[in-house]
Amino acid sequence: MKQTLRNPAVYALFIIPTLALYCLFFIYPMVTSSYYAFTDWNGLEDYKFIGLKNFVDVFSDPDFRSAIINNLFFILFAVFIQVPMIIIMAILIGGVKRLQGFYKTTVFVPSILSTAVIGILWGFIYHPEIGPLNGFLALFGIDKIYWLADEKWAMPAVLFVNAWQWMGFYIVLVLAAILALPKEMNEAAEIDGASGFQRAIHITVPLIKPIISVVMMLSIAGAMRVVDIVLVMTKGGPVGSTEVMASYLVNRAMGVNPSYGLGTAISLIIFAFALILTALYQMTFGKSEKGDVS
Amino acid sequence: MKKVFSLVLMLTLAATTVLAGCGSGNNKPSNSNNPGNTAAPAATKAPATEEPEKIEPFTVSLRHIQIGESTKFRKAILDDVVKKTQEEVPGLTFELDGLEDSVNRFTKLPAEMAAGNPPIIFDLFGGTGDALKYAAADRLLDLTPIIEELGLSDKFLNLEQFTLDGKVYGLPIGGNTEGFYYNEVLFEKYGLKEPTTWEELELAAETLKSNGITPFGMGSKGAWIPLMLVNTMIGRYAGPEAIPGFLAGTQTWNAPEIVNVFAKYEEWVKKGYFTKGELGYEYADMMNEFVTGKAGMIFDGSWRSSIFKDPEQAGDLTGKVGFFTMPAVPGGKGDQTFVNGNYSNGYGFSALANENELVAIKAFIKNLYNDEMQLRGLLEDGVLPSIKLSDEAIAKVDDKIVKKVMNILAASGGAFSHYDSAVPSEVYTESELQIQKLIAGKATPQEVADTLQKIQEAASKK
Repeated sequence: MKQTLRNPAVYALFIIPTLALYCLFFIYPMVTSSYYAFTDWNGLEDYKFIGLKNFVDVFSDPDFRSAIINNLFFILFAVFIQVPMIIIMAILIGGVKRLQGFYKTTVFVPSILSTAVIGILWGFIYHPEIGPLNGFLALFGIDKIYWLADEKWAMPAVLFVNAWQWMGFYIVLVLAAILALPKEMNEAAEIDGASGFQRAIHITVPLIKPIISVVMMLSIAGAMRVVDIVLVMTKGGPVGSTEVMASYLVNRAMGVNPSYGLGTAISLIIFAFALILTALYQMTFGKSEKGDVS
Repeated sequence: MKKVFSLVLMLTLAATTVLAGCGSGNNKPSNSNNPGNTAAPAATKAPATEEPEKIEPFTVSLRHIQIGESTKFRKAILDDVVKKTQEEVPGLTFELDGLEDSVNRFTKLPAEMAAGNPPIIFDLFGGTGDALKYAAADRLLDLTPIIEELGLSDKFLNLEQFTLDGKVYGLPIGGNTEGFYYNEVLFEKYGLKEPTTWEELELAAETLKSNGITPFGMGSKGAWIPLMLVNTMIGRYAGPEAIPGFLAGTQTWNAPEIVNVFAKYEEWVKKGYFTKGELGYEYADMMNEFVTGKAGMIFDGSWRSSIFKDPEQAGDLTGKVGFFTMPAVPGGKGDQTFVNGNYSNGYGFSALANENELVAIKAFIKNLYNDEMQLRGLLEDGVLPSIKLSDEAIAKVDDKIVKKVMNILAASGGAFSHYDSAVPSEVYTESELQIQKLIAGKATPQEVADTLQKIQEAASKK
């Protein structure tokens, strides 16, 4: 047996099937379909090679440029609002003594709901006429707000729901890291007279930096390819105000006038953006945080 | 030697694992003898062994758009046709797949057409953006020999939107016109009468508005809904010839008469004649708003008339809804007595149908497109027949909206179709974007018109 393990062919035997499947289902389709990004393929008629036209068309469309900006909103919202909220919530839940399981389950529930359900649920909450949100605001004399139909409000409304859907999942991740920390340090700090806030800032957060880094990266990658919640709630509207790159792809490249060549080009662009952003993050913040821990 | 042996052993193990994985996948369906299943796997095995004639059971996929309350009458007709056809064709089981109209038309069917795997029978719209495009790509079954054999060739009132190079690729289930539905109770309350002129229409809108009622209920989240109104306004402002003229090049989008259409639309938006926050509402919301009396009028197709005779859907408004066609526009071009008329929604069939499936298709056509079913469609569902019916059959109509619609059509000078069936689909798609921009105040009528003209020219060059 020892000899068998020394034989490189055995290792190859174990690795090759996985690699083959990975190539067959991920690498091969990706590479072959990339070709279509340079054609005018619409699925019905013969297609021809058109070079970079799809990419030029997309980037010269102001609607696509505003979609990229909307994607950036998702990222900024995730990094500067969502992640801090996640950490605060996780520390708070980590600190409670009673009913911790109940809180954990409660925050996690939204992420097991399907996006379609969430879209309908919040569509009702945001409903201008009969929605509870406007009903509540009316108590303070605030006029009806057309949450999903007003260009000003649609984006914040969708951002909020997206955050609501996914925060619970990340909170549970961070919470697991917090609960795994040795209690002694916090107790020692408490004896030394550190307040809860000081302990959170100076002990808990530095210790859970690696998991925060992961959450941060997942949030960025998620924000780059967000689409389902947008399609379910606003279809990218009103008038493109919530359009993100992926919903632009669905709205323009599919449907009654399909242009799968254009669609492939857009998906390559999304892929490139996500790759660059996560790589940038890894090389800057991600790296230094890893250094801290070791 | 030992090395080789262990290698072989490993290989065999790996191979058996892989094969076992494949094997169980294949066996499972036949083991689970579940009668409640969709009949596909069960039906292929069970009866074949017992029956001496050896009837091969087969399934035929059928995509329809009759889902939900508002299409229940139409669904009942389809169910009967399916049942009858299954009885007639030995071994046939239909596999019904119900989908929301716009999801089928704008999302699923185009993707299936591209992939080359549409259902055998499917709901299909006529015109350049749908049936004719698919027909040109050889995706649709040529129905010419079938309708000839069934003696239906001359019976259809209008197959224009399904005909390419003299061959028929789809059959419309009925005809419709688009016009204004109005709430008779509200009209009476505010002393309004059914508008017959443009001034009366705008007066009605103004009166409703000043009384806190939305004049025109609208759900513009799906842009095709406001475009129905735009379409008929094009027919009025630029004349019936304008609609085919876009493709023929005799009508430009940025001509003053078309700009006027968008200008009028913008004027109505600015005056608050449409539902506030319309860009956030869907088709169903628009009907809700109308039925609950929050809107005095809606512009919609005659296919929705059956809602207003069903107390379950129309509530207090049952039987209290009137219908009128868009009045003549002062200074409008062309014959102002023309109305919008479409024979555009029906069924298409896959070009990939095999021999068995062809038999099923033929029986399905025979059972759906006949006097009896067409009359049922007219009486129960309020859908105008697509094949000629006898006068005495038509005299049975007692629904007031359907009667009105038939009178409107009879009195009209002719019909113009919806432009979505007469322009390339990229133009139509762009018009969806542009109308929403217009509604949101992000584009002026002139900008909308210029953009559409640009896309139309680019499309014609292809």
